[in-house]
Amino acid sequence: MLALQLLVNGILLGGLYVLVAQSLNLIFGVMGVVNLAHGAVIALAGLFTYWFTAHTGANPLLVLPIAGVAGALMGALGQRLLVEPVMRHGARSELLSLLVTFGLSYILIELALQLFGADFVSVPDLQSSWQLGSLAFGKALVVAGVFALVMSALLYAWLNHSMSGKTLLAAAQSPTGAISCGIDVALVRMTAFGIGVGLAAAAGVLVIIIQPVAPQTASDLTLLAFVIIALGGLGDYLGVAIAAVLLGITQSVAGYYLGGNAEYILPYVLLLVVMVARPGRFRRIR
Amino acid sequence: MDQSTQAAGRSTTAASVPPPAGRGGLLGPLVLLAALAAIPLLGAGYSLQLATDTLTAIVLAYGWNLISGFTGYLSFGQVSFYGLGAYTTALLVMHTGVPWYLAVLASGLVGALAALILGPIMLRLRGILFALGMLGLARILSVVFNSWGFAGASIGLSLPAELMPVRIYYATLVLALAAFAINALFVYSGFGLDAVSLNEDEEAAAALGVPATRVKVIAFVLSALLPAMAGGLVAWNRSYMDPTSAFNPSLDLQVVVFVLFGGIGTLWGPFLGTLILTLAGEQFGVSFPNLQLALYGVVVVATVLAFPGGLTGIANRFGWLRRPIVHAARGLPQAAPPPAAAAPPAGGKLLELRGVTVRFSGLTALDDVSLTLGEGETLCVIGANGAGKTTLFNTITGYVAPTAGTINYKGEPVTALPTFRRAQRGLARSFQIPRLMPSLTVWENVLLAARHGRQAARAQAHAAWVLEVMGLTPMWRDPASRLSPGHQRQLEFARVLGLAPDVVLLDEVMAGMTAEEREVVRNAVRRLPQYGVRGVVLVEHVIAAVADLCDRMVVLDFGHVIADGKPQEVLADPAVVRAYLGEPL
Amino acid sequence: MPSQRRPWGASSYCRGALAAFSCLIGLGGVAQAAKPIVIGTTVSETGPLATDGEYQLRGLQLGVAEINAHGGWLGRKVELKVYDDKSSPGAAVRLYQRLITLDKVNLLIGPYSSLVTVAVAPLINKYHMATLEPGASVPSIYVKGNTWNLMNTADSTTYLHQLLPLAKQHGAKTVALLGLESAYSLACYHARVAQAKELGFKIVYQTTYTLQTDFSSIALAIKNAKPAVVLECGYYPDSVNLVRSLHQQGYAPQFMGETVGPVEAAYVKALGPLANRVYGNSGWWFNFKTPGNAKFIADYKKMFHAEPDYHAAAAYTATQLLGAAVEGTHSLDQEKIRQWIVTHKVESIQGPIQDNQYGHTVGAVQDRVQIQSGVLKLVAPASLAQAKPEIPYTGN
Repeated sequence: MLALQLLVNGILLGGLYVLVAQSLNLIFGVMGVVNLAHGAVIALAGLFTYWFTAHTGANPLLVLPIAGVAGALMGALGQRLLVEPVMRHGARSELLSLLVTFGLSYILIELALQLFGADFVSVPDLQSSWQLGSLAFGKALVVAGVFALVMSALLYAWLNHSMSGKTLLAAAQSPTGAISCGIDVALVRMTAFGIGVGLAAAAGVLVIIIQPVAPQTASDLTLLAFVIIALGGLGDYLGVAIAAVLLGITQSVAGYYLGGNAEYILPYVLLLVVMVARPGRFRRIR
Repeated sequence: MDQSTQAAGRSTTAASVPPPAGRGGLLGPLVLLAALAAIPLLGAGYSLQLATDTLTAIVLAYGWNLISGFTGYLSFGQVSFYGLGAYTTALLVMHTGVPWYLAVLASGLVGALAALILGPIMLRLRGILFALGMLGLARILSVVFNSWGFAGASIGLSLPAELMPVRIYYATLVLALAAFAINALFVYSGFGLDAVSLNEDEEAAAALGVPATRVKVIAFVLSALLPAMAGGLVAWNRSYMDPTSAFNPSLDLQVVVFVLFGGIGTLWGPFLGTLILTLAGEQFGVSFPNLQLALYGVVVVATVLAFPGGLTGIANRFGWLRRPIVHAARGLPQAAPPPAAAAPPAGGKLLELRGVTVRFSGLTALDDVSLTLGEGETLCVIGANGAGKTTLFNTITGYVAPTAGTINYKGEPVTALPTFRRAQRGLARSFQIPRLMPSLTVWENVLLAARHGRQAARAQAHAAWVLEVMGLTPMWRDPASRLSPGHQRQLEFARVLGLAPDVVLLDEVMAGMTAEEREVVRNAVRRLPQYGVRGVVLVEHVIAAVADLCDRMVVLDFGHVIADGKPQEVLADPAVVRAYLGEPL
Repeated sequence: MPSQRRPWGASSYCRGALAAFSCLIGLGGVAQAAKPIVIGTTVSETGPLATDGEYQLRGLQLGVAEINAHGGWLGRKVELKVYDDKSSPGAAVRLYQRLITLDKVNLLIGPYSSLVTVAVAPLINKYHMATLEPGASVPSIYVKGNTWNLMNTADSTTYLHQLLPLAKQHGAKTVALLGLESAYSLACYHARVAQAKELGFKIVYQTTYTLQTDFSSIALAIKNAKPAVVLECGYYPDSVNLVRSLHQQGYAPQFMGETVGPVEAAYVKALGPLANRVYGNSGWWFNFKTPGNAKFIADYKKMFHAEPDYHAAAAYTATQLLGAAVEGTHSLDQEKIRQWIVTHKVESIQGPIQDNQYGHTVGAVQDRVQIQSGVLKLVAPASLAQAKPEIPYTGN
């Protein structure tokens, strides 16, 4: 029973990880850009959710579509204005885009501080569990996990089985080739970035239900999301989902038997171990 | 992304500094140094503390600049070494009672040692993975020190230190000068050239004999030594160290902002960026504490988008702060041809491939290929696209490890030898699309190849001679990115000669050239034996352009050798004609 | 003003050519006006400690406003000089250096949090500045050699100290103890572990943790250990996460205590009904019958349109204490002020404050509060209790 509950907890934690990481993965997969403002977007959306529900009494899940759409629009705009200009610098664009989104994260964190203050906040919804026999399934985590799963599945289906999705992938794999096929690569990138940021914002709405968030949480979220996609394989949607769940289970077990410190440090240790043991898997990044 | 846009992108960033070299007088730096040395006269209070903190930030900036600026390995975790250094000093002072300056030196040692161990592991990663891998490392160290009782855990360590602000200031000043000197070394020396070449194109650098791992580990060790010593000084100065301050990631992020603003990969950028932003930030932070983060953010975004070269880049446009051309700051050195080679061993095979097979996840690129290159021979390898020509080159030069088979070079097995060693032994190659170091000058591109395994003066004379032979002397101080495509190919060829090779592998070196340019190269190929080259392998698509240069011809088809013999016989072979499906031969 | 501690007069900052450089870049000091008495301090206006820092700042601002409303000290107005230390020990060190040597403030009040205070301590002791510390509760700061830091609040080993005795009275025999890896919380954690042993509790689970967000495994381990008491020394986010995770794993101990998290207004907002019957602690409370407390609360609400908390009260106390010392010694001499503070007992809104020779406040304790139907109520000590403790914790 204990083992099963640890497994359930781990899988649910993994679901949260998929939620936090998959949108970052999309942006990386299509653009080769690691959006360092990712965590700031999640935190901003979460804090907005808190503010909105505190003032209207609405169910936080209602904010989900609002945050998603608003995030997508702002993401697309931000991409066009700030990220696209550095995409023309060839091999250097990776470094430059890293720096631009890094600067952007500072600005967004400041924005969050000005708008919502420095406090940690959370909302008291979906706090209890669904019981299945003696197994407990935390409601908020289940909702987040299902959302993450559906999102990953839709992304996967869209990218591999629809014309527009395939266009996106083509543009990702060979920008020059895509241009010669008449694809507007800049538009494709703007779309991908917009969707990615929209999904990150939606994730923020769910994260604030699960745990307290403050503007300062932003960089932790970015780092966590990156660790997960690095473990799962950058740009590999299925791999990231699997890695997230495995990481969740490992952490769940480690936390139970070894305590809090071990659980907290585990993702970073795993990342380094994987990097050391299998550097080849990271080679294709360039 | 084609090469020219890539080059254009690079030329506006990082290590790019257009020649000619500026002649910085010594007066400016000396006045600056005098001013820095005089700051304690203003009093031992806040201004001295601010000056010490600013110098500390300058040390961190210069440290970061080595690995992330020159060498191109962006790190978000150099604070790991800062923290290790801080704790080394703190623990040594507490438990052994060694004097503070020895403890600070020990900090540097610990930082360097940690980097020496971590470097070969971490530096296998590239780009964002290295950057965030380092961030993860800092996170791990922070948790370890946060719960390690001996090191005071989360409460940290309070040292029984006396406050000695003036001495600490001068110690920090000395460290900052050392940091500047190390950066100057990167700008003025051939070693720095190696580091920058890794930033520009690590794979191409290997073909020029640059020992990439050694170079980047050295750069990494130096870029760990500086923050480690800075951390030691800070711990002693504050008489206190805790894990939150020791491994604070925002310390690194701040350094990134400073260096970027000043000009990444330059000598003066870290100094200028840090000085201006700390002083401005201090005033700004006092007046508008809530907007400092946003200010940094805006600085980064604006710098990247509007002036990627930072302050130094702007200064360069006015002819200031330009970096000198390495080993030719005062003009091109005297040219001298290579010394006459010892008489080659008669009848030996220069190159011998036996049963070489290369498989990439199911796809067989080369299948049981055996071929030889004899003394004085020019071998042409032809084949359709996808026949395996480039894989063959990559295998011979060590970029691709064969699944089976052996490669002998000058009678010795080289199958397991890394690329740069094969290059240093005189096994040289060119790339199909020239892979020059775009921000380096023509001269430096050639020098890069010439300087390995050769004494410095000899290397310079050789490089100058190569420029002459290849007709590139008139444009020796142009950055490679500014050359016409034809000249770029000539430079690619010149770099091959820079190695003073015994065997030269030329990969479609004439594709896309005008007739005149082609003639220059053809002449160069004909003259190769005069330059000491004992054997040539030409891969060419346009067979007509090379047929008369070949002594022997090998035809590859889907990874198999389908013909090997005299050019006329091979070209008449029906199997060859079939393979080419009627293409005009 | 004790000039031997500040050997460089304000004018000496602008001397010759070097000074011109220094003034250009803004290092030059503005000569301090002779009239008002300036109290220097830094506050975490940004960074992870900003929430509590804000309370502390408001407490100071209110204290200074009231002092001036009553004619100031020694017939001089009192001014507060505040910098933002961004919750960073390094920044705080430099800012205190600035306050002491450049701004030449007359008096100092310490920063928020023990971590930042420890970093500043060497400086304060070097310059011999008698510094009230409303925001640093770790006892290890106030020891021999660090005698210029003067505490004015109960130390962190007294946090939730009445909870285990209360639980024992009601027959509890087992306890789970948790501590966040930070200065104050570990001092609290170790004190509670020792106390649990002393009282004969069986510690069925104990762990320290870093600022993590997933508490499901810890909660599950606690559930399996079945303690009657769960006591956590931590901060707000982990307090919320622990309560939630315990609820999700389906476990409610009889007694649930979480030091400082429950006292924050955001706690009830985040947890809703789960927050009910959780114990927290506070060094000050609304219903204290201490002199000036009612006025403090009223004025605070008027000035900031919000309710004060114990951070604000401690900061306000620091200004009271400092005022008493200045008026008592008729001087701004740091040594006299320090001597006065460590030898006098002062009635403050928090209750009587008496420091020992090392500046450690003795006798003061943190009192226990409990959330009852969404409202924080003081439940111990009995003499001041607004309500009886509601037992058991139900988790809904």
